Amino acid sequence: MDMEFKKLCSIIVDVLGVDESDIDMDTTFIDDLGADSLDVAQIIMGIEEEFDVTVDSDVASNVTTVGQALELIKNAIGE
Amino acid sequence: MPPLPAAGSERIEMSRKYVRVAVDAMGGDLAPAEPVKAAVEALEKKKSLHVTLVGQEEVIRAELAKYKYPEDRLEILDAREIIEMSEPPVNAIRKKKDSSIVRGLKLVKEGTCDAFVTAGSTGATLAGGQLLVGRIRGIERPPLAPLMPTAKGPVLLVDCGANMDARPSQLVQFAQMGSIYMKNMTGVENPRVALVNVGAEEEKGNALVKEVYPLLKECEGINFIGNIEARDIPAGEADVVVCDAFVGNVILKLYEGLASTLIHKIKDALMSTLRSKLGALMIKPALKGMLKEFDITSYGGAPMLGLRGLVVKTHGNSEAVEIRNAIEQCILFKKKDINGQFIEKMGLEQPKKADEKETASSEKDASGNTAASEN
Repeated sequence: MDMEFKKLCSIIVDVLGVDESDIDMDTTFIDDLGADSLDVAQIIMGIEEEFDVTVDSDVASNVTTVGQALELIKNAIGE
Repeated sequence: MPPLPAAGSERIEMSRKYVRVAVDAMGGDLAPAEPVKAAVEALEKKKSLHVTLVGQEEVIRAELAKYKYPEDRLEILDAREIIEMSEPPVNAIRKKKDSSIVRGLKLVKEGTCDAFVTAGSTGATLAGGQLLVGRIRGIERPPLAPLMPTAKGPVLLVDCGANMDARPSQLVQFAQMGSIYMKNMTGVENPRVALVNVGAEEEKGNALVKEVYPLLKECEGINFIGNIEARDIPAGEADVVVCDAFVGNVILKLYEGLASTLIHKIKDALMSTLRSKLGALMIKPALKGMLKEFDITSYGGAPMLGLRGLVVKTHGNSEAVEIRNAIEQCILFKKKDINGQFIEKMGLEQPKKADEKETASSEKDASGNTAASEN
């Protein structure tokens, strides 16, 4: 498990109070984890703070899965 | 340069000494004049209060120049941007990081302040409260809960703006938090909790309230009295009224609109003829006394319940008296440790703080060592 994924999981667990074992790359925030749009916004803000990056609002609004969020992080930090 | 909010040991010292409230000096139709006036008046009245005015420094200083105030208990935090009422809330919170609302909420998040009071954008305040301050662990959704006047004293309406599509478990938490808040903030013993419905019978209503009713009936620690119809709310038939934000907001707006229309109509009628004017003169003192009982400014603002700090929203057109009462409300909220009571009475499990973890770990080490030496 890479460091970015681990940090992302920690943000998701903190915001949604879900079990880390329920999270994988295909997990959807809304359908699988019971999040709503405000939760997703909170996760995006958590990503911005944790990785010291700025996520464009349009890009953020298209994120539906954990895998997409991880890709967004990797693009933002230039990996 | 304005003094900046304290950090480190100085902050801990201030925390013991004062209740620290951040006030949005730029929020609302009457800003900065009314929020600044409110802060000065509150400082004059409450010696245990420390205020941080958040907003454009030069504008705040120009307002402050009109007053004498205790300089050691008032700080200014410069914030250049203003979130307008019409801006999409989440975007505004994410983009306007130097706005008075974002900077004020961050003071609460960092623990520099205990509470934030604003008359600014409701949407941005609600979104920011959740996104920046964050929920107490275990709280599903923080509701907005204003006090409203009734024939028998105030009633707490939970939720009136935060969660348009609430789940049953969230409404149960609203009832629990509302009950604790009402008891501590207004002194009502064993507050009567009711669920807003279209009839008094258990089987009535939409899917949400039908599911919530038995959950509230079984819920320990609250005095659930059943359903309440909207017409019984002004009569004071309950102390805490539970509903989703869609229903709550309709109730609140209808309440305010109807009251305002009725008062205007009564005034028009009293001033219509010479005879009615004479009558008005006779009943004026009694009418004034009655209207005072229905004066919502005395209740302060609507708190967002269940955040890791307190956020209070006042009306957009708040005058100083309402904002001052909202500031004073924060003092009582902290002194009564309402958040601590939510955690304890609702059985919300909290993550251990770093120093607690350390203590637990050293205790474990100590017991391990003892066991090893005994062996």
